[in-house]
Amino acid sequence: MAEREQLRITGVHALSALGRGADALLAGVLAGTPAFTPVRRFDTTGRRVTVAATLPDVGTLADELTDAVDHACRAAGLDRAHRAGAALFLATHGGPASLPAPDRPGGDTGPEVPALAGHLARRCGLGGPTRVYTTACVSASTAVADAATLIGRGDLDRVVVAAGYLVEPDQYALFDAGRALAADGAVRPFSAGRQGLLLGDGVVAVVLEAARAAAARGAPTLATVTGWGRAGDAYHPCQPDPRGLGLARAVAAALRRAGLPPEAVGYLNANATGTAYSDAAEAAALGRVFGAAAGRLPVSSTKAVHGHALEASGLLELVVTVLALGHGKLPVNAGWLGPDENCPLDVVTDAPRSTSTRHALTLNAAFGGANTALLVSTP
Amino acid sequence: MLARARWPENGDGPPAPVPGFVHSGFAPLVVAVADRCLRRRYGDGPLPAGNRTAVLLVSASGDRASATHVRATVAAGGRVGPLFFFQSVPNSVAGHVAARWGLDGPVVCLSPTGDGWNEGAAEADLLLYDGDAAQVLLVLIEQAPDGTPGEATAVLLGEGTRQ
Repeated sequence: MAEREQLRITGVHALSALGRGADALLAGVLAGTPAFTPVRRFDTTGRRVTVAATLPDVGTLADELTDAVDHACRAAGLDRAHRAGAALFLATHGGPASLPAPDRPGGDTGPEVPALAGHLARRCGLGGPTRVYTTACVSASTAVADAATLIGRGDLDRVVVAAGYLVEPDQYALFDAGRALAADGAVRPFSAGRQGLLLGDGVVAVVLEAARAAAARGAPTLATVTGWGRAGDAYHPCQPDPRGLGLARAVAAALRRAGLPPEAVGYLNANATGTAYSDAAEAAALGRVFGAAAGRLPVSSTKAVHGHALEASGLLELVVTVLALGHGKLPVNAGWLGPDENCPLDVVTDAPRSTSTRHALTLNAAFGGANTALLVSTP
Repeated sequence: MLARARWPENGDGPPAPVPGFVHSGFAPLVVAVADRCLRRRYGDGPLPAGNRTAVLLVSASGDRASATHVRATVAAGGRVGPLFFFQSVPNSVAGHVAARWGLDGPVVCLSPTGDGWNEGAAEADLLLYDGDAAQVLLVLIEQAPDGTPGEATAVLLGEGTRQ
């Protein structure tokens, strides 16, 4: 593999039902209290399930994305000149916006994808290239992997990856119609008795920089992205391969790029959505990569607390993973009822677990058999 | 470029329906152009495991017909059919093609902010350079504003990585 530029994370920001900002996200996932409440943002009359993890008083997706990018850039210490050279990779759902327009004169929901990317870049002063990822639940993690590749190749010095999903009526209705939502109102990843997923807000931005570019301006470093992988199942339009072959190849690719053996990884933020077959497929993938040691690797899916943020989930969970590594505490996999023999893993239940590990993985999977793995390390 | 196809080509009518996909011409058009492209290279397929062929779907509009139908149904207080859940993201039809042909490289969907071909080719180059893909099936498709299918192009790019 060619020698490549090291990649640093120098600024993050996240909005979720746990609150605004990285501190609120970390506190929320360590507290481990699920954020699911009855949906008040829109009418759920006639739906099987009527709860989600939503933050009250959110703005439009365009406004919240702008706020997230601005906060992440400020956290990274990017001045106007540094922003002007930065690329923007946006991960979000395509199609017509379905959230109501804000209640103010002239208010609207902002432009649709793909014009939203240019709108966001202009508002935030980002003058580099833009890309829009609509790869469902691996949109954001694919954007990070691509940013890592382009920075590693020397094409770009700085990429802001932004991702957004605010729980809205159309996707909610679709997930409800597909019987994907947990009828018991709880997300129980890898647990016996799990019934499905629940949706949650996620608007996130992360500043990624080439190590030399970050060092040249004395930027803070929260973590380094040391490995990444993307692979497909070639199995089904919507269901994961129960053997976990694609996800296992994505994890193996991330480890190979990082130059690390599996045993170097001390935490795994799982994709696990609380869905019976997909959690079992992920466990099978981990068994393929880690062998018997899969049962000794601390694992949690924080979707049990903040919900599934769809196109933004990969970035929200990347930030969780980075913050957990930096804080030395592994977040809780809430909703646990008991072990499932199809998921023989060391799931972090009850309370956060202290760790001194330097390396963690965060996994995501999506319709189409799309899988990603991102490996982050302490600076 | 290893193979190229368009839909429609001479004499083509509407593409055949795809089991599991309803209401919209988006998925049938993607499948028709992808199948035509891959048949020109591989006959009936599927490819052997480990081919690392990515499916890269580039569309600014996405499946506008389905999204518009869902939007109207929900806004009117109705219930959408469960099949619309399964086709709610472009990944689904990309995964259909991947499963049919055994394409086990990455699945990526982009909504281009500029020229779709240039953005698709740049993403394909990135995936090949990085090594997660040894080949890339790039499909470009747009629907008309009224949701009716327009044209689609598929190209197979690769082969082998550059590192």
